[in-house]
Amino acid sequence: MRKNDALLSQIDWPLFIAFISLLIFGMATVYSVAFNEEHPNIFSFSEKYGKQMLWLGVSLFLGLLIFLIDVDIYRKFAVPIYIFTLLLLVIVLFMPPINGARAWIGIGSMGIQPAEFAKISTALLLSKYISGLMIKHQTINTVLTAVGIIMAPAILVALQPDAGTLVVFSSFLFVMYREGMTFDPIILKLVNRIPGINLKSTWVGNHFIPLLFIVVVLAVLTLIIGEVEFSIGFLPGIIIKGGTGIIITLAFLFLLAFLYIRRFGTKRDRASLTFIIVFGFVFMTALSSSVSFVFSKLARHQKDRIEMVLGLKEDPNGKDYNRNRAMAAVGSGGTFGKGYKEASVSSVESNHVPESETDFIFCPFAEEWGFFGSVFLVFIYLFMLMRIVFIAERQRSSFNRIYAYCVAMILFYHFAINIGMNIGFVPVIGIPLPFFSYGGSSIMSFCIMMFLLLKLDSQRKDVLR
Amino acid sequence: MNLENRKYVIIGFILLVGFIYTSRLFYMQVVDDTWVLRAQEIAEKRKEIIPPRGVMFDRKGRKIVSNKTYYNLMMTEEKITHLDTVAFAKLIGWTPIMVRERFKEIVKGEGIYYNKSSGKHTSNYQKMRAYPFLKELTLDEITKILVHIANFPGFKEEVTSMRTYPYANGANILGYLNEANREDIESEEINADHFYRPGSNIGRSGIERFYEKELRGRKGIRYVVTSAMNNAIESYANGKYDTVAKQAIPLKLGMDIVLQAYGEKLMKGKKGCIVAIEPSTGEIVTMVSSPSYDPNLLVGRRNISLNYPKLARDKDFPLFPRPLQAEYPPGSIFKLVQSLIGMQEGVVTENSGFACIKSMVGCHNHPNATCIAEAVQYSCNPYFYQLVRKVIQQKKKKNLYADAEYGLNKWHRYMNSFGLGKELDVDITGQKGGLIPDSKYYDKWYGHHQWAFSTIRSISIGQGEIKLTPLQMANIAVIIANKGWYYSPHFVKSIGKKGPKANFRKKHKTLVESRYFDAVIEGMRRVVNESGGTAKSARLEDIIVCGKTGTVQNPHGQDHSVFIAFAPRDNPKIAIAVFVENAGAGGAVAAPIVSLMIEKYLKGKVTKDKELKLNEVDKPNIIH
Repeated sequence: MRKNDALLSQIDWPLFIAFISLLIFGMATVYSVAFNEEHPNIFSFSEKYGKQMLWLGVSLFLGLLIFLIDVDIYRKFAVPIYIFTLLLLVIVLFMPPINGARAWIGIGSMGIQPAEFAKISTALLLSKYISGLMIKHQTINTVLTAVGIIMAPAILVALQPDAGTLVVFSSFLFVMYREGMTFDPIILKLVNRIPGINLKSTWVGNHFIPLLFIVVVLAVLTLIIGEVEFSIGFLPGIIIKGGTGIIITLAFLFLLAFLYIRRFGTKRDRASLTFIIVFGFVFMTALSSSVSFVFSKLARHQKDRIEMVLGLKEDPNGKDYNRNRAMAAVGSGGTFGKGYKEASVSSVESNHVPESETDFIFCPFAEEWGFFGSVFLVFIYLFMLMRIVFIAERQRSSFNRIYAYCVAMILFYHFAINIGMNIGFVPVIGIPLPFFSYGGSSIMSFCIMMFLLLKLDSQRKDVLR
Repeated sequence: MNLENRKYVIIGFILLVGFIYTSRLFYMQVVDDTWVLRAQEIAEKRKEIIPPRGVMFDRKGRKIVSNKTYYNLMMTEEKITHLDTVAFAKLIGWTPIMVRERFKEIVKGEGIYYNKSSGKHTSNYQKMRAYPFLKELTLDEITKILVHIANFPGFKEEVTSMRTYPYANGANILGYLNEANREDIESEEINADHFYRPGSNIGRSGIERFYEKELRGRKGIRYVVTSAMNNAIESYANGKYDTVAKQAIPLKLGMDIVLQAYGEKLMKGKKGCIVAIEPSTGEIVTMVSSPSYDPNLLVGRRNISLNYPKLARDKDFPLFPRPLQAEYPPGSIFKLVQSLIGMQEGVVTENSGFACIKSMVGCHNHPNATCIAEAVQYSCNPYFYQLVRKVIQQKKKKNLYADAEYGLNKWHRYMNSFGLGKELDVDITGQKGGLIPDSKYYDKWYGHHQWAFSTIRSISIGQGEIKLTPLQMANIAVIIANKGWYYSPHFVKSIGKKGPKANFRKKHKTLVESRYFDAVIEGMRRVVNESGGTAKSARLEDIIVCGKTGTVQNPHGQDHSVFIAFAPRDNPKIAIAVFVENAGAGGAVAAPIVSLMIEKYLKGKVTKDKELKLNEVDKPNIIH
């Protein structure tokens, strides 16, 4: 009894509330978007909202179980769990494809997507592995092992094929970055073969992952919105090209950073930070410009190919269609939205935005609640992510911390890619919006992930290391 | 190396994405409104509900133009699964090849629109839209199909309405409807309010065309939220912006459909026309154009494509509205106007007499006319030759030619005031104005000051260059019945309860004072009622008919027979003109028809033996 009381008091309530409120908003949106007048009851299991309620119930029950089971189990059984999910990922490849992907294992009339659960098991094993390492003594082997832990499920997921989840697996690189695991050993081993060079580590090597992230994001963003023309309502007649817009935004951000350093930076750091800022701005501007320059010099068929992958062009799979419809739905929400259950573009019934209850669920939400609603949602996610980072940093156990970072980065990727997809900043790759999208596997896996984190955090003081 | 600081990098990324997304959402949802329009385009559709066209009643309240429900068999390609072409063709009574051809035709032809950006006509045929596969089926036809329609998914019926004419008369006046063509739809003038779309009907001729705006009614517009399959899901904003379709208020015509039908019967087998007008109002009571056709032949696309070419190719031109567009020399009826002008000009009085000098111009044997009334009664050609010479050559100018020019132009102004030589303000399109020559006209022919009365004398007896439409002839009868004024002849007595259009409530006065009319009317009475008159066959027992015959010389064959009249003499109720081509003298054919028409109109029935007599005269080669 005493233990249970402690348990409640030690739950991180801010995170828990954010988590639960997302579940509630998500459920409400699924109910609104898939609403069927013939079965208005939210528990009608013939309807999507009824099923979603069922899965929410199962998820909460699983959460309860997680809170009753000793935390050590996950660490101890991280390897068997990981192997079990790998096995599922292999089995799933022999299942009949649904919508062109072999992602489902049928259990009765329902099916699960092992890929969703593979993220958790990978996070657990990665946490276990990295927490057991002496970071200062990382070798090629340790780096390769960590990468291998990530790559094994990622490759199996890619075979389904499921590009979205594959991209999400790259979020673990940020966890490695936070834990100081770099690719330096591999790169240095190659570089140091050149006579006269004997580097221990480099700045670029240390920050390789965020730099890579910036390069990739900026390149993709440039390709997607570089040629789009923006006009600003209160400045009529002025049309800004997307490429120019990116540079203006960069300049604005770096100016902010510069002012921040002038105000708060210590004298010692100021010079080097200013250098980083100036260099960063020049580097990123050059990168963005050269991407669009290179793209403009490409042959037509190469352009087509890239545009098709990014969903900018009409293609047989309708990526362009989804993207445009989704943006129309979000944009038409206006400042205050059309009101709950008033989404006209993105309701399931109208079917203008396909997958509006799963991958494009942000559309109906944004259409119903408008700018204030969607920004509120973005803020809840931001708050949740920051809170998890905060929680991660307060853990005594590095296993807990690494796991928390894994959760943060997985959620961050899902959040950024999913909403980016809905507002036309990210190519259409189907991944769910955590706690929001309709779907048993995704709801259950995210809930398990979150309950595990809450459980680990609630017992952070019981752990010595 | 302090790894903990790396959390700031991660937090930085999170915040950066949050910042970018918030700005983007602000731009999309608050600043940029193109997405709202785009969403409207996607999800909200205007559904148009076309009301049945306004109906028409005749002057006695009989419905003469009505609507009938028809059915289209609609096809939605996307919903068609495994179409058994053979069975389907059998169901609709076609061959499988015809079905395939029709299918191709729909894909290519339906939904063609003018793409402004590309400047081309492109088809926006869409598989998910419904297109009419068969149009204008009757209830019987559609019922036979509907029994088995469940076997052919993708097909369903749609209700439309089309014109029907219970009396089958007056086709040339009522006009017909046809599908709006590309020019109509793209015309800024016709389609300024975007009323017409492919498949909409538009009045093509007659009253249907002139009163198009009054008849088409108000389209209902329903804004609906549609699905990607284009099915309506719900009404938009609870129908706040919807408008209800409203049928136009009925038109009440001045036409008496029974008299119209009777006139058409009388004119059967003859070429020509009857125009009857109520003098006190200008309402056109009857307008027969013979030969005519059954207006039901031109209802709907199917019928039009079947019957129109036949009617257009007919050598008797049934589609030609003779009363409005045929221009004939008026012959002797013109003498009425000439006498009025002569008296008003003071060149003659009602008691002037002229000798019948046949050397001037041919005439038949009759006593010399000693007054206007007698001149009219005998229709004496030399009399009017001399009268009109006095009008044209008034000796006001020293030069003979300048004098003729002066006189003719004066005469021309009189004629214009009688509604001659110009189009009347009728509520129908495609009207001709006839021809009344003026000095410029003859200058062109003969040269300036190269002509005098003797050059143009044939105008005095309504021959030569003079041309009138039968409508104008009837209007002369109206003017004489009214003693000097007329309302523009018109078909529509009242739009709902509003009365006729404003321009039909305006009196047109002639330049001849009313006091000069009595002599002419007396002459017209004698024409019908006295021995020596040229149209005793028009006489009625208890109604005083005033009339004037005309025999129009026709160089191409038999003379044309004309007769204009009004009755009763006091307080006239009807003015009428009958023109029968190639029927000989006016008294022979036209006059009996007029008398029958007047009797029918005023009494509701006719004396049988007269009708029989008419059938007797209705033989070829009747000579006066």
